[in-house]
Amino acid sequence: MKFYLCIDDTDNLDSIGTGTIAEQIQEKIINQGYGPCSLVTRHQLFIHEDIPYTSHNSSMCFYGEAPDDSMTAIIDLAADHLDNVAAEGSDPGLCVLAFDQRHHYDQLIEFGINAKKKVLSKSDAILCAKNNNLHLSEHGGTGQGIIGALAGVGLRLFGCDGEIKGALKNTVINQTYSVSELKKLPELHQVLDLSTKEPLADSTIINMCNRTKTVLYQHHYVLFVKKDESDHYATISKSEIRKLGGHFYE
Amino acid sequence: MNDPAQLAIDQWEKGHAIALNCSEFKPDVEEEWLAEETISCYNCRYRRFVGSGIRCMKSLFPDF
Repeated sequence: MKFYLCIDDTDNLDSIGTGTIAEQIQEKIINQGYGPCSLVTRHQLFIHEDIPYTSHNSSMCFYGEAPDDSMTAIIDLAADHLDNVAAEGSDPGLCVLAFDQRHHYDQLIEFGINAKKKVLSKSDAILCAKNNNLHLSEHGGTGQGIIGALAGVGLRLFGCDGEIKGALKNTVINQTYSVSELKKLPELHQVLDLSTKEPLADSTIINMCNRTKTVLYQHHYVLFVKKDESDHYATISKSEIRKLGGHFYE
Repeated sequence: MNDPAQLAIDQWEKGHAIALNCSEFKPDVEEEWLAEETISCYNCRYRRFVGSGIRCMKSLFPDF
């Protein structure tokens, strides 16, 4: 069985990040003999004064493989972990989906996309979770994190949203790499030209000229690049990726 | 950007300069860094993204 797990709103200004907690849950799942699991993706949600968030309003999601009868164990494990480590003053939410390939998740995906541009309510999330047979639970505070947790699963299913956590940490800024070298990294499947969305040949040289990330695009981990003034391919900065937002994937 | 309590989303040099002299600067987790310079208000744990920029949760942005 394929499952998706997402958490949101687990932190405060001084605590460990939600992404780290997601990786801790993943490690526990693997230690129980389940897995493998995907890398964690960070999904940026709507920034609005009516939405309570700590500093950036993002949720963290991954998927994995596990036996059909392990869903309850995975949910309990993740819930216990959240109860133990979530920061004081946070409003954590947990969402777990046991993926059913016969089911159409259009409503869930739409919920995720809407959470990037609209203020949604807990009752919206509870209804959507019920309609799509997802586990959704609150773990303290207002439990507002269930909105982002559900949205994160929707966006991961959508397959065209989110930065890969920890991606490209070991590449050196201002160094050049061939596409084939970059494709050896687990967090990178393809290097695409941002304007054409075409994959670049393995021999193409890329200048890693800034702090950048791979992103989820059509269910692949993709590094988007563009040509610089001297007609060489260069990475685009994280701030540019964030600025492009939803338009990044059009 | 006229709000003195905010930095616009791309005031990179200013964010770097303020953080270099800030006693409360503490880097956020790496996945939340946005500026190229590690020491920057944009990478600080105590910044909060708002509609058009960032606010300092320690209220330490100087008067511009």
